Amino acid sequence: MKLTLKVWRQKNKQDKGQFETYQVSDVSKDMSFLEMFDVLNERLINEGKEPIAFDHDCREGICGMCSMYINGRAHGPWDQTTTCQLHMRAYNDGDTIVVEPWRASAFPVIKDLTVDRNAFDRIIQAGGYISVNTGNAVDANAIPIEKHDADLAFAAAACIGCGACVAACKNSSAMLFTSAKVSQLALLPQGHPERATRAADMVMQMDKEGFGSCTNTGACEAECPKGISISNIARMNRELFSAGFTK
Amino acid sequence: MKWSQFFSTSIGKKLLVGATGFFLCTFLIVHLAGNLSLMKDDGGQAFNLYADFMGHNPLIQTLAWGLKVVILIHAFLAIQLTIRNQAARPVKYAVKPGNSTSSWYSRQMAVMGSILFIFLVIHLANFWWAMHYGDIPSSTYDGKEVGDLYTVVWTAFENIGLVVLYIAGMIALSFHLIHGFKSAMQTFGFNHPKYNGMINFVGLWLFGIIIPVLFAVIPVYIYYKQIA
Repeated sequence: MKLTLKVWRQKNKQDKGQFETYQVSDVSKDMSFLEMFDVLNERLINEGKEPIAFDHDCREGICGMCSMYINGRAHGPWDQTTTCQLHMRAYNDGDTIVVEPWRASAFPVIKDLTVDRNAFDRIIQAGGYISVNTGNAVDANAIPIEKHDADLAFAAAACIGCGACVAACKNSSAMLFTSAKVSQLALLPQGHPERATRAADMVMQMDKEGFGSCTNTGACEAECPKGISISNIARMNRELFSAGFTK
Repeated sequence: MKWSQFFSTSIGKKLLVGATGFFLCTFLIVHLAGNLSLMKDDGGQAFNLYADFMGHNPLIQTLAWGLKVVILIHAFLAIQLTIRNQAARPVKYAVKPGNSTSSWYSRQMAVMGSILFIFLVIHLANFWWAMHYGDIPSSTYDGKEVGDLYTVVWTAFENIGLVVLYIAGMIALSFHLIHGFKSAMQTFGFNHPKYNGMINFVGLWLFGIIIPVLFAVIPVYIYYKQIA
């Protein structure tokens, strides 16, 4: 396949940035989207040009690093897929593909397609944990947990913190991410002692980072590579109400 | 968590937008029930007595002023959140997803809300202002003299332009509420597989279709009745 790529190039945080167009030939349908970028980057290096900076790590769909906004969709056109798991069979010969970084004031561009997602880490630091006394490991089955709740907590814990929810949301809201992290702990007994302060602290940190507010369009859920449900957002709202009204 | 902290959060503000919106939804039902008597073939007696009751009952009058405050709170907080949301993405995407990940009307709440606000100002100027501060004719029923708002309304809707404006207002109301009702429920934390179907059904059919359509039918009915 021959493809035309329009890729966002930006030297650093201060640079204004612009799109650059590249022609890529000999693209196999079996390549992943990132492998196609590897081929292009090798060519750029051989030509003595600056390769395109993009984030990647595991390349098996679980690390959440490969943030690319492809033709108006976070992680490309396939549902519940990260960019590394998007394969070139999704495209046809002659296609033009526009690749942009995540756009949010809370995710400043570091270089090209790489963005700074430390805002997510600070939300976790604000309350996305449980406090446990150290000592012998407690028997895993000592606390009975209903299967239904365990499944819901596990589904929420599937969040890989990739930021696609923020990228897809018209308001750059981080509600799906934050609610998944609040939910995975609120649903389990170990998370109960700190649930009120957790919801309050994480929501306040989320607002402080400059993410937008949620208007319930559902775009985050549609783009989440792990299929996190917006029912988690409703749960986080309930958690915050219990903190706001009773604590 | 202090109250001031809670209502400073985006979710706290959204709770107020949702709650005020829900209150406005319930008001629509009462308003529609009264308005439907405009189509009753009794020369306006039922409607005029209803309008007189609404215009003079102290409890209703208190609620009516409360209603205006609620509309302003709803609009003010929604504008505040919208400005914040716009600021959260200073550099826009070159390619947008269109309707592939969300419905267009769910993204146009601010636009539909603004249209509704303009509609409301015109609507209040047309009838509420006329009823309270204007010089309108009166009718007497069983020895009681009341303002003849019925005639004011019927005369106003001889104007096709006003009829079209009211239909446009109701189209904006429809799309605002199809998303608004279920969005408010989600903000309140009501999201459960057992009830989601019912919430979506009520939001779409009752608030999104039945209520706006019945409101829109009234000016159309009056217009056609008069040119017939």
